Amino acid sequence: MSKDIESQMRAALRAVAPSEEFTQKLVANVTSRLPAAPKPRRFAAGLRPLAWWFSASLAASVVLAVGVHQHLQQQRLQQSGLEARREVLEALRVTSQKLNLAYEAVKSQSTSLTDAQSGA
Amino acid sequence: MRQCISLWLFALLTPALALAAPNPKLAIPSFSALAQKATESVTITLDPGLLGLAAKFLDSNDPQDAATKEVLKGLQGIYVRSYTFDKDSAYQQSDIDAVRSQLAAPGWNRLVETRSRKTHADVDIYIMVDHNQAVGLALIASEPRQFTIVNIVGAIDLDKLHKLEGQFGVPKLDIDPSKGTPAPSK
Amino acid sequence: MNDDSTDPLDEQLAKARRGERAALTLLVQTHQRSVYSLALRMLGTRDLAEDLTQEVFMQMNGNLSAIDSNRHLGFWLRQVTSNRAIDQLRRRARVQLTSLDEEPQLFSAEEASDPLLQRHLRALLADLSPQARAVLLLRYQEDLDPVEIARTLDMPLNTVKSHLKRSLESMREKTANMQPMRCEGSSYE
Repeated sequence: MSKDIESQMRAALRAVAPSEEFTQKLVANVTSRLPAAPKPRRFAAGLRPLAWWFSASLAASVVLAVGVHQHLQQQRLQQSGLEARREVLEALRVTSQKLNLAYEAVKSQSTSLTDAQSGA
Repeated sequence: MRQCISLWLFALLTPALALAAPNPKLAIPSFSALAQKATESVTITLDPGLLGLAAKFLDSNDPQDAATKEVLKGLQGIYVRSYTFDKDSAYQQSDIDAVRSQLAAPGWNRLVETRSRKTHADVDIYIMVDHNQAVGLALIASEPRQFTIVNIVGAIDLDKLHKLEGQFGVPKLDIDPSKGTPAPSK
Repeated sequence: MNDDSTDPLDEQLAKARRGERAALTLLVQTHQRSVYSLALRMLGTRDLAEDLTQEVFMQMNGNLSAIDSNRHLGFWLRQVTSNRAIDQLRRRARVQLTSLDEEPQLFSAEEASDPLLQRHLRALLADLSPQARAVLLLRYQEDLDPVEIARTLDMPLNTVKSHLKRSLESMREKTANMQPMRCEGSSYE
């Protein structure tokens, strides 16, 4: 029985694919935001004066840090955007659910009135 | 039913009901004490910035997203508070009164008031109109184990709301937007 | 995390890091089923699962440089999906499962299959706490062993084992009275 339930669990939880439509949308969205291919840095083969090398490294680090920061900001913006989208859809779902309650109540009142009138 | 809603909407679109400078954004309390008792809470606060950001991530090729994008145009805010409890009467009507009292202010008009003995759900929908346009919507739904407050601020386009029918399960309100005023039922 | 195996997708990962669209597409297509299924069974609805799947792959896009093999990518995706789903569920306090019919019915030809029991098991899974649910999904959907699950969820190994034991016991109890659906028509006590 132990093996049976585990094998049934495996069967029950076999991975399912999303819709083809979603897959296409997913691929399009992900690949449209490809990070730019990093350009290979070329350094001259020879030795350089230490001070110059230090300044160049520092400058490169700053540029890299700014780039990384911007990239992280972009990523955070994407995540915030998707989160905001989800919240909008949830808000509209809740709103429509409650509108539906009102609609059902009005419809039911209207039906009762009609029944009462035709009975009279 | 169609006549009922039609009459309400027609009355609201009448110029006589246009009122100046009321605030469609409600001051919703934090409900922190109730949130602690609730088994489920939904707290959504979407200001203009977040709505704009969300719109950028809605896919115009997806019907639901496209319809949602249309509804969002002109909106300044969407605020939702919904609390679900595991037993009846876990909240008092007085808890919601702080919101209800704001809807008694000039500018707000009650569009629908329903009291259902079948579902024990009371739903009140208010609308604020300015220069013949809906600029605010407030909904209070009160059920034995749940209450929900929705406040939508901005240019609510009833035509676009109509087009949301079928998405999210929005009910068909039997509004005929092409005629400007609701079509009478037959 | 070095991997000596010759996984052809390792090369695709390297290409994706260099910005090659086709390689990134292949990686997404390879892993999306696993990510989506995890998200669906954790969060309960197709909409939420699709949103989370999209977020995870967007995040992956920004983190490719830190991922050094396809195997590592699989681990990373499972980890991020599970943790984000658990966070979402914690924020919601209670998941409202709108419909288990969201899931397509899969019928196995290879082993004796009981679709009704499997459906019931999926429903029972939804009643578990987010952490227990994640543990079971990683075990039976992703086929990870407890050590791998512990690493994925950053959870003590004993806690993983405890979740597995308790959840399976509970499911056994709750399904004990179900008559299995078998072609032969036999039934069990």
